[in-house]
Amino acid sequence: MNREWAAILRSKWFPASVGITAALAIAGLLVGFVVLPLADRNEQFHSVWDAICSAAGLIQNAAREPVVQANYPTTRVELTPRMLRGASAESIGRGATLALRCTMCHGARGLSEANTPNLAGQYAVVIYKQLMDFKTGARVSAVMAPLVGDLSDQDMRDLAAYYAYLPRVPASRPAGEPPQIVASGAPLRSIAPCGACHGELASKPGAAWLEGQPFDYLRTQLQDFASGARRNDIGEQMRNVARGMTVAEIDAASRFYAGLRGPTGSQADASSKQH
Amino acid sequence: MTEPPPPPSHDEGAERIEGIERRWAMVGIGVLLVLVVVAAFAGIHQAAMPQSRVEIVDPLRLHLSGEFIDSNLGSAVEPDGSVTVRAIGQEYSFTPSCILVPRDTPITFRATSADVVHGFLIDGTDINLMLVPGYISSLRARFETLGERYMPCHEFCGTGHEGMWGRIKVVDKAVFAQMAAGAKRVSCVK
Ligand code: HEC
Ligand code: HEC
Ligand SMILES: [Cu+2]
Repeated sequence: MNREWAAILRSKWFPASVGITAALAIAGLLVGFVVLPLADRNEQFHSVWDAICSAAGLIQNAAREPVVQANYPTTRVELTPRMLRGASAESIGRGATLALRCTMCHGARGLSEANTPNLAGQYAVVIYKQLMDFKTGARVSAVMAPLVGDLSDQDMRDLAAYYAYLPRVPASRPAGEPPQIVASGAPLRSIAPCGACHGELASKPGAAWLEGQPFDYLRTQLQDFASGARRNDIGEQMRNVARGMTVAEIDAASRFYAGLRGPTGSQADASSKQH
Repeated sequence: MTEPPPPPSHDEGAERIEGIERRWAMVGIGVLLVLVVVAAFAGIHQAAMPQSRVEIVDPLRLHLSGEFIDSNLGSAVEPDGSVTVRAIGQEYSFTPSCILVPRDTPITFRATSADVVHGFLIDGTDINLMLVPGYISSLRARFETLGERYMPCHEFCGTGHEGMWGRIKVVDKAVFAQMAAGAKRVSCVK
């Protein structure tokens, strides 16, 4: 040991400064790990040890008394941001074969003529989730339910890959500005712009591409979300939107996405393009 | 030109330096003590509300099982008469979007996020939480005044953030009891 160190250790300041620092550290630990947790009126701890563990960040999930279960089927699908990406040609091919039983209503290339939703170019996640929800009964449809009963999980993935791969309806945006409810939502009524989730501005996993869907279909879905007749949206995210919409807004948004112009009745084309 | 003062002798200099060091040591210790006392005071008096217990939850599976499934969200009356409010924040709404609580009753909020970080703030109160995906935020509160308050999300959470806010309605105990009778979870969502 060199002379400098020896002098430091001999100094009367050495024990004093180390002692004071240690005392402060112990006082700080006591305050942080014992006094504050025990004084916290948000939590009741069973013991000092419990408080110390919590303050140290140990994960302790408390058992939470009975959970109220829904008395109707709810969606069982877990959506992850990257699911169903990069489908193989094989999967798309299998999907194309399976889709032969869907053409009668959804059209030969996923473009329907009637009021049945178009599937061509729809996000794979959406097709997959809706098929699962029809199967579990989370989304109620007398037409679709019997058609999905024998589809396996892989079948649904293949169908999703196939329809996502098909080209979308050629865009037929009505001229002029989109209605207010579509362009900017209604922030004062807690409604985000449709495009923040549905793909024009940003995409939320599970939110469908809406453009080109039939007017009646869109309006019915919005009405059903608003009334609660459709409740397969995770965490009520679409019900929260639709509940705040007025009848006129539901109409305007449906017309816009269906490619129709102007409010119902006020335009000459109202009857011709509507089914 | 004046003569510079003669340099201090060796002993004199050491003494002066020791005096200065002692004073600075006192200042340093004083600063530390003040900081410890301030942190303790703020913590105890709820000016700062760090959560003492860490609870985790899988944000992608909230709707599948556990206490944050849709049907379990809202206000629940506990056996001890207090009320537990469970809510989730997600892009771009709170569920339930209108929370109902009774006045003068101990309330426990338990909330989490299904996607990104959101803010949970009740205007006119000191309730201000962050909803972090993966973690459960919890807080006890008590409302003394009746009426409706807003709950804006105050963490920018994406392109629809401006539309993300909810309401909380404080109603009379009797009114709440009436609404809570029968229904297991209550809210003011219409
Ligand atoms: C008999 C007609 C019919 C057949 C056949 C049919 N569908 Fe449908 N499909 C419908 C109708 C009608 C709806 C709208 C349901 C509603 O209103 O809730 C629908 C909805 C859907 C949806 C939801 C679309 C969305 O945007 O939410 C998907 C996905 C779907 N069908 C896939 C299929 C697949 C895959 C097949 C073949 C296995 C198929 N359908 C066969 C009539 C049919
Ligand atoms: C917060 C995100 C969000 C916003 C904002 C939003 N939606 Fe949705 N919407 C969703 C999600 C997610 C679904 C899928 C629900 C499910 O899982 O079945 C959905 C479903 C729908 C459907 C049913 C689609 C189908 O084929 O099944 C329609 C129609 C719809 N939204 C219209 C709108 C309109 C119009 C607006 C704007 C006024 C809007 N949405 C705003 C998230 C959103
Ligand atoms: Cu938010």
